[in-house]
Amino acid sequence: MVAIRSLAAILTYVIGLCGVIPLFPWLTALPRVFLVAGFLSGLWQDLMGRWKLKPWMQNTAIVPVFLFYALQFSRVNPIQPVISVLAIMLAVRISGEKTVRDSLQIYTLSIFCLASSSLFDLSPVFLIYLGLLLFVVAVALVLLTFQNQDDTMAVAMPELKKILFSGLLMPVLAVPLLLVIFPIMPRTQLPLWHFLNQPAIRTSGYSDSVEPGSQSSITPSQTAAFRAEMSRQAQSGLYWRGTVFNRTDGIRWSRNPRVPAERHEISGRTITQVIYPEPSAVRTLIALDRPVGIFMRRVKRSPDGVFELIGTTGSRLSYAVDSLPSGLIQQRNPVDRLFYLQLPEDFSARLKALASKIARSGKDDRTRVEQLEKNFRNGGFRYSTRDLPTGDRAIEQFVFDKKQGHCEFFASSFALLLRAAGIPCRLVGGYLGGEYNELGGYYTVTEDKAHVWVEAYINGSGWTRIDPSSFATNAGDVWKPPGSRSLKLRISQVLDSLNHEWNRYVITYDFEQQINIARHVGSRLRLANPSKILRSSVPYFTGILLLAGLLFAVRKFSLFRSRERRILNRFLRMVEREFDLSAEECASGLFEIASVADNCHVSKFVAIFAGAIYHDRRLTDSEYLRLRQILRFLKG
Amino acid sequence: MSRPSTSHAFTNVFDTLSRDYLQGKEEVLRLSVIAILVGGHILVEDLPGLGKTTVALALAGATGLSFGRVQCTSDLLPSDITGLSIFSREEGRFSFQPGPIFNNIVLLDEINRAMPRTQSAMLEAMEERRVTIEGITYPLPDPFMVFATQNPSDQSGTFLLPESQLDRFLICTGIGYPAEHLEREIIAAGGIREKVGSMEPLVTTAAIMAARKEVQTVYLSDKVLSYIHNLVLATRSHDLILNGLSTRAAINLAQAAKAAAFLAGRDYVAPDDVKGIAVAVCAHRLVMRSDMAAIERGGVIRTIIAGIALPLV
Repeated sequence: MVAIRSLAAILTYVIGLCGVIPLFPWLTALPRVFLVAGFLSGLWQDLMGRWKLKPWMQNTAIVPVFLFYALQFSRVNPIQPVISVLAIMLAVRISGEKTVRDSLQIYTLSIFCLASSSLFDLSPVFLIYLGLLLFVVAVALVLLTFQNQDDTMAVAMPELKKILFSGLLMPVLAVPLLLVIFPIMPRTQLPLWHFLNQPAIRTSGYSDSVEPGSQSSITPSQTAAFRAEMSRQAQSGLYWRGTVFNRTDGIRWSRNPRVPAERHEISGRTITQVIYPEPSAVRTLIALDRPVGIFMRRVKRSPDGVFELIGTTGSRLSYAVDSLPSGLIQQRNPVDRLFYLQLPEDFSARLKALASKIARSGKDDRTRVEQLEKNFRNGGFRYSTRDLPTGDRAIEQFVFDKKQGHCEFFASSFALLLRAAGIPCRLVGGYLGGEYNELGGYYTVTEDKAHVWVEAYINGSGWTRIDPSSFATNAGDVWKPPGSRSLKLRISQVLDSLNHEWNRYVITYDFEQQINIARHVGSRLRLANPSKILRSSVPYFTGILLLAGLLFAVRKFSLFRSRERRILNRFLRMVEREFDLSAEECASGLFEIASVADNCHVSKFVAIFAGAIYHDRRLTDSEYLRLRQILRFLKG
Repeated sequence: MSRPSTSHAFTNVFDTLSRDYLQGKEEVLRLSVIAILVGGHILVEDLPGLGKTTVALALAGATGLSFGRVQCTSDLLPSDITGLSIFSREEGRFSFQPGPIFNNIVLLDEINRAMPRTQSAMLEAMEERRVTIEGITYPLPDPFMVFATQNPSDQSGTFLLPESQLDRFLICTGIGYPAEHLEREIIAAGGIREKVGSMEPLVTTAAIMAARKEVQTVYLSDKVLSYIHNLVLATRSHDLILNGLSTRAAINLAQAAKAAAFLAGRDYVAPDDVKGIAVAVCAHRLVMRSDMAAIERGGVIRTIIAGIALPLV
């Protein structure tokens, strides 16, 4: 027996936790303290069975809190006071004795708390808490109706199971309704309140300028930058293009938005991806190098393959991209050499000397680039994110003295030398590599994968991708393929793909997308021939039929019933057939059947079977065997 | 399955009586034996001349128990049943002369002809199993069984038994006309009163008392218990019934079912046993709604039973 009252109390705490946990990180210190204290004191008093906190004390305690937060409420700070009052009210309610009325208030407050947590964060965890809350509230409401009738009521385990089952039934029945409502209800793609005071997003890597030498070390962050749904590609070809830097002052590279016109020869195999960037303030759209087209409204396209978003940012979005992954783009119109050879007036003399040496070593651009590459390969450069050259002469230090730095040093120095040697070039900022999630079929690229490389215009072939960082002596270590798939990695991938599906189908879901899918299905149906559809649907129908058949078998042939029920059903069927009894007679008692049938085997069966059943025990193995033997006699 | 040894003797009583003496009266005989085994009383409702008295006499003869008979009339006094003290000149004091009730089997013929005062004195003795006369309590013999009869057709000058007193009878049943060929045999053979009177007892009193103890140990499973309970609950919520079965009725139903199982040679109760005696035990205790009084109560019980699933597993 389980006391309804204590069960309802436990569920009340669960409900309270479901409401509080998602909101807790966004609360200020005072409501946090209240919550912890409220839960602890409530638990302690419930365990003791004495409630020292009287309802009038609780109600009085809320008044000053309410006044305090009411004074804080303003147009710039509308949310915090409200959620603080909510949380404190919940804490106060949960701290005392829980009558039916108090419990109902706690449930309501918990639902409000959970709902307000979605103002700050739209993560799939919300759904888990919501589902749990709905289920537990349904069960708890059923229990409360019992408690309301009789405070001291206790129920046995089977009844409790029934209550739990009916409680589960309610949310489960609501799910189909939810699916109907989902497409028509208005939704938000960003947490309503929290997007305004979003923390600085990109902590490492990608920025709108390249300035090697500004910091002596960088700490890479492992947070995801974006996800790209596509088939698996060679790891070495995963250059994700973001922006292009085409202007330099010798130290800092930046973007001149007035990019000269380029007309490209587009040929070769394209790769289609769908990119889901994490929300950020950056307007540049990332795509696999080199994007040919991004299919999205309100996107500005620059001739050098940079795509930028016009208008608001910060919400979740997704876009499809077609890319040419070859790393080589032919240009039909002549390149603007002046624009891509621009160098500062006070360009370092040492670098200039090195560049002119390289310019002299080859007769065309290709051999000069190869010479510079050889210089870098044999120069003993190391890739490192610590102990970096700093200051105005950081590039010179890197090339001639320290010989260690990160991609910005490699790319920047390489590009400066190329320009000084008379070869047009630019820097491309983006990401390199990524982790492929087999489960979701997408790449996850984290912020620490931010990368800068060089695009050089080589006469006769076109814009060629050169990654100077790969010339480092330790490039193999840095670009090593992902190691063995550990369990932790696999779990994190599963979680990540769940997160991704949530973002994809719930947060960035829009009506247009649904209509596109419907239209797509419609056109596919028009094209397809009926017999093919019929053939392809055969497995589904077979599956459904099999499932239905299995269910029917379970019901009809009592596959999972007890041994007693099985053998009794066999016996009844057999008696009905052999002795020509009506179903009505078979519904009567066993001894009545035996007297109507007037057969020694039937009587024996009934005697053994009833002897066990009406003694409240199961059939023993020997009895069971004997009964089966009798049934065989009956049949024979 | 163990077969209680003493149940042989009772099956024998039942078989002998129905074979050699009382052809066509198996049902009333079986119910009478059940009443003896439980220690209850039986009310037989039927027309005169169908062998009610013969059944009672035969039962007494076969069990070797003493037999007393009271023919109820409207001027019958309680002391005519219980007995009274008479002054004895020789001894110079009052001595108690026990009435017909101080017998093991008492036949109360046409009980509805007696005055309510006499009826209630009689029924009190049935319940208490003792009689108090002039301050002295006399216990009734054990086993003690009242075999009451009443004539349902002739209602003039009768006092119907109130429901509360009907509840004291374990079993109420009819006899009915015998089958055609049996009736011809009975007519040909003439009365069997003399034959019954010269019967040799088939069981001893000690055997009856032992069998009663054994009946109480017959196993009543939870399933059958809930079956009985469901039956009782169904009578309480039935549309036609004003008052359903009492708890005493439910206890009696379980006891009678145990005795029926004992007679069938089993040491456990099957739902069939309950079904078999339900009409006889329950029907007379139902209080029908006033506009439904004409409905046959046995039929109501049968429809209720048909609506309750038997616990088979």
